[in-house]
Amino acid sequence: MKLAVFVSDYRNTVETLERLKPEKLGIILVGNGVYHATVKEKGNASPLLEKSADFYALSEDLETRGLSSSHVNSKVKVVNYGDVVDLLFNNYEKTAWL
Amino acid sequence: MATTKLGFIVQRPPYKSENPKLALTHAIASQSVEIYLKDGDLVTADVAFVGDGVLNCLKNQKAMDIYALSSTESHLKNCLLLDLNVYVCKEDLGKLGLSENDIVMDAEEFGADMKVNVVPFDEISKMMEGMNHLLFF
Amino acid sequence: MGKLTIGCFSSLVGSMNLDFAVKLSAAALEKGHTVDLWVSGNATMLSIKDQRAFKDYSSLEKPLKELMGKGLTVTACEACAEARGYHKDNTMEGFKRHSMDWYLASAFDADRVLHIGGE
Repeated sequence: MKLAVFVSDYRNTVETLERLKPEKLGIILVGNGVYHATVKEKGNASPLLEKSADFYALSEDLETRGLSSSHVNSKVKVVNYGDVVDLLFNNYEKTAWL
Repeated sequence: MATTKLGFIVQRPPYKSENPKLALTHAIASQSVEIYLKDGDLVTADVAFVGDGVLNCLKNQKAMDIYALSSTESHLKNCLLLDLNVYVCKEDLGKLGLSENDIVMDAEEFGADMKVNVVPFDEISKMMEGMNHLLFF
Repeated sequence: MGKLTIGCFSSLVGSMNLDFAVKLSAAALEKGHTVDLWVSGNATMLSIKDQRAFKDYSSLEKPLKELMGKGLTVTACEACAEARGYHKDNTMEGFKRHSMDWYLASAFDADRVLHIGGE
Protein backbone atom coordinates (compact mmCIF):
# COMPACT_ATOMS: atom_id res chain seq x y z
CA MET A 1 0.00 0.00 0.00
CA LYS A 2 1.27 3.45 -0.92
CA LEU A 3 -0.16 5.71 1.73
CA ALA A 4 -0.06 9.48 2.10
CA VAL A 5 -0.76 10.51 5.67
CA PHE A 6 -1.77 14.08 6.40
CA VAL A 7 -0.65 15.22 9.85
CA SER A 8 -2.47 18.40 10.85
CA ASP A 9 -1.65 18.60 14.58
CA TYR A 10 1.54 19.15 16.48
CA ARG A 11 1.00 18.05 20.07
CA ASN A 12 -1.56 15.37 19.46
CA THR A 13 0.77 12.58 18.48
CA VAL A 14 -1.22 10.16 16.49
CA GLU A 15 -0.80 6.63 17.76
CA THR A 16 -2.22 5.18 14.59
CA LEU A 17 0.60 6.70 12.54
CA GLU A 18 3.17 4.84 14.63
CA ARG A 19 1.47 1.58 13.78
CA LEU A 20 0.97 2.03 10.06
CA LYS A 21 3.54 0.09 8.06
CA PRO A 22 2.69 0.63 4.40
CA GLU A 23 5.10 -0.36 1.68
CA LYS A 24 5.52 3.35 0.88
CA LEU A 25 4.68 6.09 3.34
CA GLY A 26 4.46 9.79 2.68
CA ILE A 27 3.80 12.19 5.55
CA ILE A 28 2.34 15.49 4.45
CA LEU A 29 2.51 18.13 7.18
CA VAL A 30 -0.34 20.60 6.97
CA GLY A 31 -1.97 23.02 9.40
CA ASN A 32 -0.24 22.86 12.77
CA GLY A 33 1.44 19.67 11.60
CA VAL A 34 4.04 21.87 9.88
CA TYR A 35 5.62 22.54 13.30
CA HIS A 36 6.96 18.98 13.12
CA ALA A 37 9.17 20.24 10.29
CA THR A 38 10.50 23.27 12.13
CA VAL A 39 10.39 23.10 15.92
CA LYS A 40 13.44 21.79 17.82
CA GLU A 41 12.35 21.02 21.34
CA LYS A 42 15.43 20.95 23.57
CA GLY A 43 17.47 21.04 20.39
CA ASN A 44 15.90 17.91 18.95
CA ALA A 45 13.88 17.54 15.79
CA SER A 46 10.37 16.11 16.08
CA PRO A 47 10.41 12.33 16.71
CA LEU A 48 7.95 12.09 13.84
CA LEU A 49 10.81 12.78 11.45
CA GLU A 50 12.54 9.58 12.60
CA LYS A 51 9.94 7.50 10.81
CA SER A 52 10.86 5.83 7.57
CA ALA A 53 8.88 8.02 5.23
CA ASP A 54 9.04 10.81 2.70
CA PHE A 55 8.17 14.10 4.38
CA TYR A 56 6.47 17.12 2.91
CA ALA A 57 5.34 20.39 4.47
CA LEU A 58 2.79 22.72 2.94
CA SER A 59 4.43 26.06 2.15
CA GLU A 60 1.19 28.02 2.54
CA ASP A 61 0.74 26.69 6.09
CA LEU A 62 4.40 27.37 6.95
CA GLU A 63 4.14 30.97 5.77
CA THR A 64 0.80 31.45 7.53
CA ARG A 65 2.64 30.64 10.79
CA GLY A 66 5.63 32.93 10.20
CA LEU A 67 7.87 30.12 9.00
CA SER A 68 9.84 29.70 5.80
CA SER A 69 11.85 27.03 4.02
CA SER A 70 14.94 28.10 5.98
CA HIS A 71 13.28 26.86 9.18
CA VAL A 72 12.45 23.45 7.73
CA ASN A 73 14.35 20.28 8.60
CA SER A 74 16.41 18.99 5.68
CA LYS A 75 14.42 15.74 5.65
CA VAL A 76 11.29 17.66 4.69
CA LYS A 77 10.46 18.89 1.22
CA VAL A 78 8.43 22.08 1.06
CA VAL A 79 5.46 21.75 -1.31
CA ASN A 80 2.50 23.86 -2.38
CA TYR A 81 -1.14 22.87 -2.91
CA GLY A 82 -0.51 21.97 -6.54
CA ASP A 83 2.35 19.71 -5.50
CA VAL A 84 0.08 18.01 -2.96
CA VAL A 85 -2.40 17.23 -5.73
CA ASP A 86 0.41 15.73 -7.82
CA LEU A 87 1.64 13.68 -4.86
CA LEU A 88 -1.85 12.28 -4.31
CA PHE A 89 -2.37 11.31 -7.91
CA ASN A 90 1.16 10.24 -8.86
CA ASN A 91 2.93 8.94 -5.76
CA TYR A 92 0.30 7.45 -3.45
CA GLU A 93 -2.80 5.28 -3.78
CA LYS A 94 -4.56 5.97 -0.49
CA THR A 95 -4.74 8.76 2.02
CA ALA A 96 -5.28 9.14 5.75
CA TRP A 97 -5.97 12.41 7.57
CA LEU A 98 -4.89 11.94 11.17
CA MET B 1 -19.77 -4.50 -12.56
CA ALA B 2 -17.35 -3.09 -10.05
CA THR B 3 -16.94 -2.93 -6.32
CA THR B 4 -15.25 -0.18 -4.36
CA LYS B 5 -14.19 -1.10 -0.85
CA LEU B 6 -14.11 1.60 1.80
CA GLY B 7 -12.39 1.16 5.16
CA PHE B 8 -13.80 3.25 8.02
CA ILE B 9 -11.23 3.54 10.81
CA VAL B 10 -12.59 4.92 14.09
CA GLN B 11 -9.91 6.22 16.47
CA ARG B 12 -11.83 8.53 18.79
CA PRO B 13 -14.06 7.72 21.74
CA PRO B 14 -17.78 8.37 21.37
CA TYR B 15 -20.09 11.25 22.29
CA LYS B 16 -17.76 14.21 22.85
CA SER B 17 -17.10 14.20 19.14
CA GLU B 18 -19.79 13.45 16.58
CA ASN B 19 -17.16 11.77 14.43
CA PRO B 20 -17.45 8.13 15.50
CA LYS B 21 -21.20 8.16 15.02
CA LEU B 22 -20.81 9.75 11.60
CA ALA B 23 -18.35 6.99 10.71
CA LEU B 24 -21.02 4.41 11.44
CA THR B 25 -23.91 6.25 9.78
CA HIS B 26 -21.80 6.80 6.65
CA ALA B 27 -20.73 3.14 6.67
CA ILE B 28 -24.38 2.09 6.98
CA ALA B 29 -25.15 4.33 3.96
CA SER B 30 -23.26 1.76 1.86
CA GLN B 31 -26.52 -0.19 1.94
CA SER B 32 -28.43 2.44 -0.03
CA VAL B 33 -25.70 3.72 -2.34
CA GLU B 34 -26.94 1.59 -5.26
CA ILE B 35 -29.49 4.24 -6.17
CA TYR B 36 -26.56 6.30 -7.51
CA LEU B 37 -24.76 3.40 -9.22
CA LYS B 38 -25.24 1.20 -12.26
CA ASP B 39 -26.77 -2.24 -11.79
CA GLY B 40 -24.23 -4.60 -10.27
CA ASP B 41 -21.90 -1.88 -9.00
CA LEU B 42 -21.29 -1.90 -5.27
CA VAL B 43 -19.69 0.04 -2.46
CA THR B 44 -18.77 -2.00 0.59
CA ALA B 45 -17.87 -0.66 4.02
CA ASP B 46 -15.65 -2.35 6.59
CA VAL B 47 -15.39 -0.71 10.01
CA ALA B 48 -12.41 -0.95 12.37
CA PHE B 49 -12.13 0.46 15.88
CA VAL B 50 -8.57 1.23 16.98
CA GLY B 51 -6.91 3.18 19.79
CA ASP B 52 -9.41 4.98 22.00
CA GLY B 53 -11.98 4.26 19.31
CA VAL B 54 -12.54 0.82 20.84
CA LEU B 55 -14.48 2.62 23.60
CA ASN B 56 -17.32 3.05 21.09
CA CYS B 57 -17.94 -0.68 21.41
CA LEU B 58 -18.72 -0.84 25.13
CA LYS B 59 -22.08 -2.45 25.77
CA ASN B 60 -24.99 -1.14 27.85
CA GLN B 61 -24.70 2.45 26.60
CA LYS B 62 -27.59 4.56 27.92
CA ALA B 63 -27.39 7.57 25.63
CA MET B 64 -31.04 7.20 24.62
CA ASP B 65 -32.26 7.06 28.22
CA ILE B 66 -30.21 10.01 29.38
CA TYR B 67 -29.76 12.33 26.39
CA ALA B 68 -32.46 11.00 24.05
CA LEU B 69 -29.72 10.23 21.54
CA SER B 70 -29.26 7.01 19.64
CA SER B 71 -26.24 5.29 21.08
CA THR B 72 -23.08 4.38 19.24
CA GLU B 73 -23.82 0.87 20.45
CA SER B 74 -27.09 0.83 18.50
CA HIS B 75 -25.33 1.99 15.34
CA LEU B 76 -22.72 -0.69 15.82
CA LYS B 77 -25.46 -3.29 16.08
CA ASN B 78 -27.05 -1.91 12.92
CA CYS B 79 -23.72 -2.39 11.16
CA LEU B 80 -23.80 -6.06 12.16
CA LEU B 81 -27.43 -6.38 11.11
CA LEU B 82 -26.50 -5.01 7.68
CA ASP B 83 -23.65 -7.54 7.39
CA LEU B 84 -20.79 -5.05 7.55
CA ASN B 85 -17.44 -6.44 8.65
CA VAL B 86 -16.61 -4.93 12.03
CA TYR B 87 -13.13 -5.23 13.58
CA VAL B 88 -11.98 -4.23 17.06
CA CYS B 89 -8.28 -4.03 17.87
CA LYS B 90 -7.39 -6.67 20.45
CA GLU B 91 -4.26 -4.90 21.74
CA ASP B 92 -6.13 -1.63 22.26
CA LEU B 93 -8.89 -3.35 24.20
CA GLY B 94 -6.24 -4.90 26.43
CA LYS B 95 -4.42 -1.60 26.86
CA LEU B 96 -7.62 -0.06 28.21
CA GLY B 97 -8.26 -2.99 30.55
CA LEU B 98 -11.15 -4.29 28.47
CA SER B 99 -12.04 -7.69 27.08
CA GLU B 100 -14.61 -9.19 24.72
CA ASN B 101 -16.96 -9.44 27.71
CA ASP B 102 -17.13 -5.64 27.92
CA ILE B 103 -18.03 -4.88 24.32
CA VAL B 104 -20.78 -5.53 21.83
CA MET B 105 -19.91 -8.79 20.09
CA ASP B 106 -23.15 -9.46 18.22
CA ALA B 107 -26.66 -8.17 17.57
CA GLU B 108 -28.57 -11.40 17.94
CA GLU B 109 -31.57 -9.55 19.38
CA PHE B 110 -31.88 -7.80 15.98
CA GLY B 111 -31.48 -11.09 14.15
CA ALA B 112 -27.98 -10.29 12.92
CA ASP B 113 -25.73 -13.14 11.86
CA MET B 114 -22.53 -11.10 11.77
CA LYS B 115 -20.30 -10.88 14.81
CA VAL B 116 -17.62 -8.40 15.82
CA ASN B 117 -14.10 -9.57 15.02
CA VAL B 118 -11.65 -8.86 17.82
CA VAL B 119 -8.30 -9.08 16.05
CA PRO B 120 -4.68 -8.00 16.41
CA PHE B 121 -3.79 -4.68 14.75
CA ASP B 122 -1.87 -6.61 12.09
CA GLU B 123 -5.16 -7.99 10.80
CA ILE B 124 -6.66 -4.52 10.71
CA SER B 125 -3.61 -3.44 8.71
CA LYS B 126 -4.30 -6.25 6.25
CA MET B 127 -7.91 -5.13 6.00
CA MET B 128 -6.70 -1.60 5.22
CA GLU B 129 -4.40 -2.97 2.51
CA GLY B 130 -7.39 -4.56 0.85
CA MET B 131 -9.48 -1.40 0.74
CA ASN B 132 -9.66 1.00 -2.19
CA HIS B 133 -9.94 4.03 0.07
CA LEU B 134 -9.50 4.71 3.78
CA LEU B 135 -11.56 7.10 5.88
CA PHE B 136 -10.10 7.90 9.30
CA PHE B 137 -12.55 9.26 11.84
CA MET C 1 -6.85 13.45 -15.43
CA GLY C 2 -8.47 11.90 -12.41
CA LYS C 3 -11.25 12.37 -9.93
CA LEU C 4 -10.63 13.51 -6.37
CA THR C 5 -13.33 13.15 -3.74
CA ILE C 6 -12.78 15.17 -0.59
CA GLY C 7 -14.94 14.67 2.48
CA CYS C 8 -14.68 17.26 5.22
CA PHE C 9 -16.40 17.05 8.61
CA SER C 10 -14.88 20.07 10.37
CA SER C 11 -16.61 23.33 11.15
CA LEU C 12 -16.17 26.33 8.84
CA VAL C 13 -15.63 28.66 11.78
CA GLY C 14 -13.34 27.24 14.43
CA SER C 15 -11.23 25.00 12.24
CA MET C 16 -9.21 25.64 9.11
CA ASN C 17 -9.77 22.22 7.63
CA LEU C 18 -12.42 23.52 5.25
CA ASP C 19 -10.04 26.26 4.12
CA PHE C 20 -7.57 23.47 3.32
CA ALA C 21 -10.22 21.43 1.51
CA VAL C 22 -11.29 24.37 -0.65
CA LYS C 23 -7.72 25.35 -1.53
CA LEU C 24 -6.86 21.74 -2.39
CA SER C 25 -10.00 21.57 -4.55
CA ALA C 26 -8.88 24.71 -6.36
CA ALA C 27 -5.42 23.27 -7.00
CA ALA C 28 -6.86 19.99 -8.28
CA LEU C 29 -9.33 21.76 -10.60
CA GLU C 30 -6.51 23.96 -11.86
CA LYS C 31 -4.65 20.80 -12.90
CA GLY C 32 -7.68 19.53 -14.79
CA HIS C 33 -8.95 16.98 -12.29
CA THR C 34 -12.60 16.50 -11.38
CA VAL C 35 -13.36 17.31 -7.76
CA ASP C 36 -16.32 16.38 -5.56
CA LEU C 37 -16.45 18.00 -2.12
CA TRP C 38 -18.71 16.41 0.50
CA VAL C 39 -19.39 18.23 3.76
CA SER C 40 -20.94 16.48 6.71
CA GLY C 41 -21.35 17.07 10.44
CA ASN C 42 -20.25 20.56 11.48
CA ALA C 43 -18.82 21.19 8.00
CA THR C 44 -22.37 21.66 6.67
CA MET C 45 -22.00 25.21 7.98
CA LEU C 46 -20.20 25.82 4.68
CA SER C 47 -23.50 25.50 2.81
CA ILE C 48 -25.24 28.50 4.38
CA LYS C 49 -25.59 31.48 2.06
CA ASP C 50 -24.89 35.11 2.82
CA GLN C 51 -22.59 34.53 5.76
CA ARG C 52 -21.05 37.84 6.72
CA ALA C 53 -17.35 37.90 5.99
CA PHE C 54 -15.25 39.08 8.91
CA LYS C 55 -11.47 39.03 8.76
CA ASP C 56 -11.31 37.06 12.02
CA TYR C 57 -13.40 34.14 10.76
CA SER C 58 -13.00 31.78 7.86
CA SER C 59 -15.28 32.81 5.03
CA LEU C 60 -15.38 30.65 1.93
CA GLU C 61 -18.56 31.60 0.03
CA LYS C 62 -16.72 33.71 -2.54
CA PRO C 63 -13.95 31.23 -3.47
CA LEU C 64 -16.47 28.41 -3.35
CA LYS C 65 -18.76 30.11 -5.86
CA GLU C 66 -15.78 30.71 -8.14
CA LEU C 67 -14.82 27.04 -7.92
CA MET C 68 -18.39 25.91 -8.56
CA GLY C 69 -18.19 28.03 -11.71
CA LYS C 70 -15.12 26.00 -12.67
CA GLY C 71 -16.88 22.69 -12.18
CA LEU C 72 -16.52 21.89 -8.48
CA THR C 73 -19.41 19.80 -7.16
CA VAL C 74 -20.17 20.55 -3.51
CA THR C 75 -22.71 18.58 -1.55
CA ALA C 76 -23.83 18.78 2.06
CA CYS C 77 -25.22 15.99 4.18
CA GLU C 78 -28.90 16.89 4.32
CA ALA C 79 -29.58 15.31 7.72
CA CYS C 80 -26.52 16.96 9.28
CA ALA C 81 -27.62 20.33 7.86
CA GLU C 82 -31.25 20.01 8.95
CA ALA C 83 -30.16 18.93 12.45
CA ARG C 84 -28.37 22.26 12.69
CA GLY C 85 -31.25 24.32 11.35
CA TYR C 86 -29.61 24.85 7.96
CA HIS C 87 -32.55 24.58 5.61
CA LYS C 88 -32.77 24.42 1.84
CA ASP C 89 -33.97 28.01 1.51
CA ASN C 90 -30.87 29.12 3.37
CA THR C 91 -28.45 27.13 1.22
CA MET C 92 -25.98 28.71 -1.18
CA GLU C 93 -27.04 28.51 -4.82
CA GLY C 94 -25.45 25.52 -6.53
CA PHE C 95 -24.73 23.77 -3.24
CA LYS C 96 -26.35 20.32 -3.37
CA ARG C 97 -27.87 18.43 -0.44
CA HIS C 98 -28.12 14.66 -0.32
CA SER C 99 -28.10 11.74 2.07
CA MET C 100 -24.82 10.16 3.17
CA ASP C 101 -24.83 7.58 0.41
CA TRP C 102 -23.95 10.38 -2.05
CA TYR C 103 -20.48 10.56 -0.53
CA LEU C 104 -19.98 6.83 -0.91
CA ALA C 105 -21.24 6.98 -4.49
CA SER C 106 -18.74 9.74 -5.21
CA ALA C 107 -15.99 7.59 -3.70
CA PHE C 108 -17.08 4.69 -5.91
CA ASP C 109 -15.44 6.05 -9.06
CA ALA C 110 -12.93 8.41 -7.44
CA ASP C 111 -9.26 7.84 -8.15
CA ARG C 112 -8.36 9.36 -4.80
CA VAL C 113 -10.39 10.03 -1.67
CA LEU C 114 -9.21 12.41 1.03
CA HIS C 115 -11.37 12.15 4.10
CA ILE C 116 -10.82 14.98 6.57
CA GLY C 117 -12.55 14.06 9.79
CA GLY C 118 -13.82 16.56 12.31
CA GLU C 119 -12.30 17.38 15.63
